[in-house]
Amino acid sequence: MPNCDFMNRSLSLIWLAIASLMSSAAALAWEQGPVQRDHIEAELVAASTSVQPGGTVEVGLRLLPDPHWHTYWKNPGDSGLPTRLNWTLPEGASVSDIAWPYPEALVMGHLINYGYEGEHLLPVTLSVPDHLEPGSELTLRLAAEWLVCEEVCIPGDARLELVVPVSADRPNPDPVHVSLFEQARQQHPQNVSWPARFSTEGSQLSVQVEPDQSLPVDRLEVFAAVENFVEHAEFASVTGGNGQLLIAQPLSPFRTGTPESLPMVLVDRVGERAWRITAEPGSLVSDGSLLAPASQTGWLLAIVLALAGGVLLNLMPCVFPVLSIKAMSLVSGAGHDQRRHGLAYTAGVLLSFALLAGVLLGLRAGGEAIGWGFQLQSPWFVGILVYVLFALGLSLSGLFDFGTRLMGMGQGLTDKGGMSGSFFTGVLACVVASPCTAPFMGTALGVAVLMPWPMAMAVFLALGFGLALPMLALSFSPALARRMPRPGPWMDTFKQAMAFPLYLAVVWLLWVLARQTDANGLAAILSGMVVLAFALWLGGKRDQGPTLSIARHVLVGLSLVLAIAALGTANRFQHEQGEAPASAWWENYTPERLAELRADPDQAVLVNMTADWCVTCLVNERVALNSDAVRQAMTDNDVVYIKGDWTRRDRAITEYLAEFGRNGVPLYVLYPRNGDEPKVLPQVLTPGLVVLALEQL
Amino acid sequence: MNHRLFRLLAAAAVLAFATSLAAAPQIGQPAPDFSVVDTAGDVHSLSDFAGQKVVLEWTNHDCPFVVKHYQPGNMQDQQRMARNEHDAVWLTVISSKPGSQGHVSPEQADELTRSRNAYPTAVLLDESGDMGRAYDARVTPHMYIIDEDGILRYMGGIDSNPSRNSDDIPGATQFVVAALENLAAGRDVDPTVTRPYGCTVKY
Repeated sequence: MPNCDFMNRSLSLIWLAIASLMSSAAALAWEQGPVQRDHIEAELVAASTSVQPGGTVEVGLRLLPDPHWHTYWKNPGDSGLPTRLNWTLPEGASVSDIAWPYPEALVMGHLINYGYEGEHLLPVTLSVPDHLEPGSELTLRLAAEWLVCEEVCIPGDARLELVVPVSADRPNPDPVHVSLFEQARQQHPQNVSWPARFSTEGSQLSVQVEPDQSLPVDRLEVFAAVENFVEHAEFASVTGGNGQLLIAQPLSPFRTGTPESLPMVLVDRVGERAWRITAEPGSLVSDGSLLAPASQTGWLLAIVLALAGGVLLNLMPCVFPVLSIKAMSLVSGAGHDQRRHGLAYTAGVLLSFALLAGVLLGLRAGGEAIGWGFQLQSPWFVGILVYVLFALGLSLSGLFDFGTRLMGMGQGLTDKGGMSGSFFTGVLACVVASPCTAPFMGTALGVAVLMPWPMAMAVFLALGFGLALPMLALSFSPALARRMPRPGPWMDTFKQAMAFPLYLAVVWLLWVLARQTDANGLAAILSGMVVLAFALWLGGKRDQGPTLSIARHVLVGLSLVLAIAALGTANRFQHEQGEAPASAWWENYTPERLAELRADPDQAVLVNMTADWCVTCLVNERVALNSDAVRQAMTDNDVVYIKGDWTRRDRAITEYLAEFGRNGVPLYVLYPRNGDEPKVLPQVLTPGLVVLALEQL
Repeated sequence: MNHRLFRLLAAAAVLAFATSLAAAPQIGQPAPDFSVVDTAGDVHSLSDFAGQKVVLEWTNHDCPFVVKHYQPGNMQDQQRMARNEHDAVWLTVISSKPGSQGHVSPEQADELTRSRNAYPTAVLLDESGDMGRAYDARVTPHMYIIDEDGILRYMGGIDSNPSRNSDDIPGATQFVVAALENLAAGRDVDPTVTRPYGCTVKY
């Protein structure tokens, strides 16, 4: 019947109107007591039955979702939204941020949410204004928004009101809610300042923590307190040892960056304890001492140390001879230009250091696992330095005239009288200083490399400024310059004496080179030095006639080419990786050997790609791979341990690394027995982790 | 939990990391191919759209975060802009398994397109969830942009404000719009990855 249908429709329209009126009225009014929304009950509650003027009181949002429904923590995990509180307070009152209780990891299919099931409280601390009259009332209003989900999600909100009497007496706990507040307090993580560092190499979050108490490692749960950073669905693995905790968790493929510091919550649910740590970028070395002073004070200290170190560099055997002679010429030079020379020199030093630091930091940012001293990895660089220092030494010894002839670029340019001369003296100072910085300051600068790049750059520039400082001071202070000894015949003797520290520096560099090449290579470069000396000596001779002059110039040119060729030859004799000693329990990596082992279905293999200059590699070997437990596990499980040394660039190893999408060490790969896919271990190892992986083969 | 079992699980989680990496699509790499039926029964593959930009939108019409963008017309505006101004293909993907929230019949899906005045090239019914898993789609809405050469150029959220309130849309950066404009101007897409926010995909 059409009429009936019309009636029904009108009725339902009226009902709809009433319902929407009611719901909008409900949405506008402030409601007291518990309110019911879809699948959740909400209420604004206080911990005490009255408040004292000028005091504080805990208040909070009590939420009671239906069974199996949940709301969210401040990091909601893979989906969802944290509950939001928006307070309307009387004048003079204020509330703290939410003291979030620790969450639960809730499994949603293949994803994880961090949140709360069952009754829970989000507490804040309210500061009561002191102008309130006892006997009056305090009205708190809270607009709360939440997302409540089971499998499906329903957004909800409520405008909640709470009226609390103001009394001069000490507040009494509200018996109805006392246990709820107590539970929230217990579940609020304790803020601790345990040393903690994190790294994100290889799309993997690795956190090292040094707790000041022993923790139940086996049942510790870990929650990153920042959104969209870790892969929540892959539970963090926690291992312990040497007084450290090691937390590893893959990073989210959707992360948008790396936080400057990483707050994390560690939960011992059984013991009802929780801690909130803040990890800074960097790493802790295994003996527990801090390697990365990422704090402001640590950074300032590093700046001061670098500055002092730079000043000290002036006394190094490779630097002092060069600079002392430059200082002499500066002092004896024309007065008014001295300042500009000093500034040009400083600019030269700073620019070179900035360039070097830029290359280093750039390579690191690109994933190269290199540290300071990386320049010395290149035999070419070391070889050129040997030549430069040797030539400088010969010049000081008087074999040829300082700079009248071709003498290698740096020195040649330093002798141009103008500003560019002083600038290139600065560059030369940096070049000759670099072999000295490596052994003496490697550790300190290694620390700097772990800092955020602007801080690291500042440390390097401080070092450069320290190096330039004495010369700068000399050029700016006539009084200081007057203190310098007057030039005279003694200068020749001084020059000659200064040659010997340079020869010593050459010996040190030859030693470095000898580790990269072999006896043949060393012989080649020593011959190159003789040829170079010959060229320099001949270059300084006076000509007796045009024919002889041409012959001489050809000879000099030829000798220089020969010297460079000698360097090239030295480079071709690369240090052969010695056979692993008979007593060693590893084998050296070759692709052939690995293929052979992989062909055997009963053979499991652990591959370790390492390098002498890789601190992480060395720490991992010392702490984990070389530990008795790991060695025992390798023997018990019949695993062949293969080590590849990437100290020198090695094509086979580079290719191997590339197979795993890496361009740096360390890399640890475990090949299971039955020819299954290899497994990549994390870049920070603990004995427990390795043993466990070995036992699972 | 048993001590040993826990450690086994922990190690398994660590080792699973290598596999999980392989599963996630990578910016700058070819996007995973798919072969999924639309509401008209036609099968669509990524290779069908070579030479055109493709926008993928994971959806679930009952999810409050999807409603946030459909109710004021933000999603529909972006669909029109992508197709009309950028000659892009817009594929709306539903990966809800049968019986779960957001799962719809082809007729219901067409009705939703009509009633919401939506403008996708096609609505794909990924009941098996294979396409969703290939793209590691986690939430609704979850957005992906693939260029003319089949290279993944953007993945993540629809905009920069992870809220469920439509009033927040005007103040947020609309990442898909920005990425399409950058691609059209020959610039790099920035950002290429953002946080996808919303409801869990009901696989």
